[in-house]
Amino acid sequence: MKEISRSIKKKDHDNKIEGRSVYVDDYPLTASGKRILCGKLIHAAYAKARVLSVTLPPLPEGYTYVDRNDVPGDNNVNIVLDDTPVFCRETVEYIGEPIGMLVGPEEAVVDELLAGVKVEYDQIEPMLDLRNGTEAFFDYHFGHGDVDRAFAEADKVYEEEFLTGYQDQTYLEPQGMMAEPEEDGRMFVHGSLQCPYYVHGAVARALGTGPEGVHILQDVTGGGFGGKEDFPSILGCQVAVAAHKTGQPVRCVYNRREDLEFTPKRHPSLCRYKLAVKDGRVTALEADVRFDAGAYSTLSAVVLQRGIIAAPGIYHIPNVRVTGKAIKTNTVPCGAYRGFGAPQTFFAIEMMMNHVAQDLGVDSITFKQQHFAKQGDMTSTQGRYHFPVPIPAMLDEVDALCALRRKHQAYSLPQTGRFRRGIGFSAIFHGAGFTGSGERDIIKATAKLRKYADGTVEVLASNGDIGQGVRTTFPKIVSHELNLPLEKVRYEHPDTARVPDSGPTVASRSLMTVGELLRRAAIRLRDIWQDGVEQEVEEHYKEPDFVIPFYLDRFEGDAYPTYAWSVSAVEVEVDTYTGRVQILGAYGSFDVGTPVDENIVLGQMEGGFLQGLGYASIEKMQYDEKGRIRNNSFTDYLVPTAMDVPKLIARLHVEEYPDGPYGAKGAGELPLVGPPPAYLEAVEMALGGMKRHRLNRIPYSAEDVILELNKEVP
Amino acid sequence: MVNGYKPGSLQEALDIRSRTDAIPYAGGTDLMVRNQKGAVYLFLNDIEALKQITDDGDMIRIGAAVTFTRALENDLVPPLMKEALSQIAAPAIRNAGTFGGNLGNASDKADSVLAALALDGRVRLASAGGERTVRIEDFFVKRGETILRDDELIVEVLLPKSRCSLPFYYQKLGGRNALAISRVAFAGVYDVQDGVIRSISVAVIGEGKFTRYREAEAALIGRTAEEVKENAAACADSFIRNMTFTRGRVSAEYRRTVVRNLLTDYLTSLG
Amino acid sequence: MNGLCFWLNGKELCYDGSAGDRLLDVLRDKYDLKSVKCGCKEGECGACAVLIDGVLMNACCVAMGAVEGHEVLTVEGYRETERFKVLSKAFADLSAVQCGFCIPGMVLAAEALLRVKPHPTEEEVRRALSGNICRCTGYNAIVNAVLNAAKEGDGLW
Repeated sequence: MKEISRSIKKKDHDNKIEGRSVYVDDYPLTASGKRILCGKLIHAAYAKARVLSVTLPPLPEGYTYVDRNDVPGDNNVNIVLDDTPVFCRETVEYIGEPIGMLVGPEEAVVDELLAGVKVEYDQIEPMLDLRNGTEAFFDYHFGHGDVDRAFAEADKVYEEEFLTGYQDQTYLEPQGMMAEPEEDGRMFVHGSLQCPYYVHGAVARALGTGPEGVHILQDVTGGGFGGKEDFPSILGCQVAVAAHKTGQPVRCVYNRREDLEFTPKRHPSLCRYKLAVKDGRVTALEADVRFDAGAYSTLSAVVLQRGIIAAPGIYHIPNVRVTGKAIKTNTVPCGAYRGFGAPQTFFAIEMMMNHVAQDLGVDSITFKQQHFAKQGDMTSTQGRYHFPVPIPAMLDEVDALCALRRKHQAYSLPQTGRFRRGIGFSAIFHGAGFTGSGERDIIKATAKLRKYADGTVEVLASNGDIGQGVRTTFPKIVSHELNLPLEKVRYEHPDTARVPDSGPTVASRSLMTVGELLRRAAIRLRDIWQDGVEQEVEEHYKEPDFVIPFYLDRFEGDAYPTYAWSVSAVEVEVDTYTGRVQILGAYGSFDVGTPVDENIVLGQMEGGFLQGLGYASIEKMQYDEKGRIRNNSFTDYLVPTAMDVPKLIARLHVEEYPDGPYGAKGAGELPLVGPPPAYLEAVEMALGGMKRHRLNRIPYSAEDVILELNKEVP
Repeated sequence: MVNGYKPGSLQEALDIRSRTDAIPYAGGTDLMVRNQKGAVYLFLNDIEALKQITDDGDMIRIGAAVTFTRALENDLVPPLMKEALSQIAAPAIRNAGTFGGNLGNASDKADSVLAALALDGRVRLASAGGERTVRIEDFFVKRGETILRDDELIVEVLLPKSRCSLPFYYQKLGGRNALAISRVAFAGVYDVQDGVIRSISVAVIGEGKFTRYREAEAALIGRTAEEVKENAAACADSFIRNMTFTRGRVSAEYRRTVVRNLLTDYLTSLG
Repeated sequence: MNGLCFWLNGKELCYDGSAGDRLLDVLRDKYDLKSVKCGCKEGECGACAVLIDGVLMNACCVAMGAVEGHEVLTVEGYRETERFKVLSKAFADLSAVQCGFCIPGMVLAAEALLRVKPHPTEEEVRRALSGNICRCTGYNAIVNAVLNAAKEGDGLW
């Protein structure tokens, strides 16, 4: 193990465990000298309707209503496109869309007023169907090779459909933002968020101030997992507009029900896959991928891009044709969630490969292994796997952990009796960093180090610690290079008034990309270090030379400079009387390059692994025929507890990436992607395999098991 | 106390109950989720008389304000009840939740009520003017409704000792391994002597109500366990016929199938 | 009517608000004890867990009237103890704190377990923490930290 990997005490440990960290809801009501007003949103009651009127109850003094007419700048939130309004336009497009906000000093009074608001609607038939939806926000096509010929010459062609559901990020701290007008006229917006500069751009535009008129601080943030990538820009604009109108600080913290029902989640998907097989080898793939974007486009473009690029999985398939659509529906806009589109397509390709293998009478592990991509092979976008693909070695490691191969064969034999077992396997990658040329063309990250006269060093970057530990790992890198004690290097929560734009806290990029900038900055600072004076060093992102330029219009080139890899295995026991699926063990080998702190990386792997198992099994969220999400409380949206997967083992496999700090690659998202297909393969195996019960969707619950078994003709 | 009463004795509590609309509060775990604005509570959590678990020779008597955790620690509480209690929610809920609350809340998913029902339990109710003791299934009218009158309080749950030490069958199906509401639960108690069924009970969560299937149960009494085992599916049917399952978090078909499977397993395991 | 009196982190206090007020709101808003987090207000996450007479409770599901005469402990009080220091170090050694939002409740759930079971098994730890949702860690680090604290803190509990 490298020295840098040795675990240290996290810098935010004491404050968090002692309950001293200030999350946005923790600021006392008069923290800034002025009473913080409580803001609450009026959420649309229909999935599609014209808003005819909003009638307010009499507002006591000090209570204010805010809506789109109060937006001083642009009522469009800057995300990828600008179609999401700050407050609704003439129509509402999903249940929960913010119509306006009531603000005032007493929360109880705001609640009462809210109950008295009457909104008159003219209802319009909503579009709720992903399968038949025709309006696509984005419609992408790419591929390579001669797909038609491969299908024409195939020995056998397989077609299948795969479905995945919503998944909610379920960060423990709900969404919350606060805006404070400052003496100098600037608007100070802070809260629970991942991407200060995203919020900065959005708020400046909504207020019409220009970038200098606002600044954004990330408060201590109780988890994000992608859920606080785009949404804080919207809520940030709303509280900023309210603070602008009232001249007072305004805070809006969602309650759990609002959060579950009205904030972005993982896109439900429908994938139609077609594979050609000749001489026992997959020769062509045609994938038709549909994501349910919800009512506004928000991040769907980039989520869909990552999803479809991963459509062939980690397999070398010579002929590929992919289409991807982000379908507009009158439901809550979907957004970012750990994995960002890739879990859906990896689920599809992994299950498809399992099913083809079963049909061919081959063990699916062997079949997949015959198709693993290798270093130098072409990627789905005609880029290259520039570095070694460590999957075969990782498969051996997982096999050693849980006797995967032996059990995979044993459990595939016919089983009888109440309890039946299965073990599933998946092998996946996660493209490290932004998709395509985003890092080079759009983000252009800058990071700085400021050395003070007293010899302490401050990291200046815009990446927020959302639990993943960058407040520890960034200083760790810098202190390592400067040979300084860790106490002398600090990284505060970013405020856009003080830090350069080193990009958002997304795409598992912070440590790999910004960490590397900081490492290089630290080396330069070391070279010019002078005692007793203040010094500053700045580093800018530069795309590594080996990268084949990516063209988004054609989906050609290196979509990612490198990849993180994982092999997962999940062993289950199914109770055929009750449908209960007990996870006997979950095993994973993860290659995220060099861990810049072993405990922190293992914590990411284990946490992501469990989220992936939840996604596959118990985390069920659906909307009804009116488009209303029914699972809007913790009683109805279940995430795993400490008792659900007692045996979860994560191991690290290190394949160093030369352009990441000390060989580190992206880590955060990887562990969630592999477990769902491994879980479902295990359940399918326990039920007797594809020929008896072909499973093709997640989440797959105890109820699904029973209803599936009921189909069996006795 | 503003918006609340905190009597020191049961008598005082019954007196307050008879003259006010205060809502009886034992553990708070359901009431506080409901969070009725401006609610006035009658706090029962510190009334010693309601926190006792005793053995009167015929009955194990569990006070209405006994928490699930306290009951789990007590040797008088029968194993079936403990099995059910141990799978309720999670520690903080078991530390607060009470027998009286589980009954009074009138949820059709109350695990302690299910166990008491299978054990031929009764519930003692009292008012300033008197008291009455009723069977569990008679206490519960339907989801959200019991026979508790506005002037009455639940005092204790009574479990016949003759049932408490009998072999039992219990299975709870929630959405996950902890902190989960029962989607289906099954409880049964049986007495088989010399291979002959002397008594048997069946109780389920999944019907939207708490009831017993007296006729179907009675039809098994006097038959041999072996005979029932051989005809388990048909015997299970005699119960299932009288059941109507609700749909909600899961489908009625799921509930019916699981109850049928568990019933069959139960009837196969007698003796 | 002088309000309802109870002990909070070792001090006796009298609360003059409504007996129906939630302990969670009162702790956060009236007594400024912000370690007590609000994750759901429905007893389904454990972020607001506190100890009442040494027993773990979700503060969102407790009305002030029920607290009268009892002793409430939050992390603000608990962090002054030796036991807390042992737990904190055990959590630190495994980097078991990620976003931190569940942690004060988690630590009190650990204390509630260890005071009745100083040497728990892994299964007992998982059961004791099963009402405290953590979305970050997958629980392994937290469970192992509690097991390590039980070893390190031998005699403290």
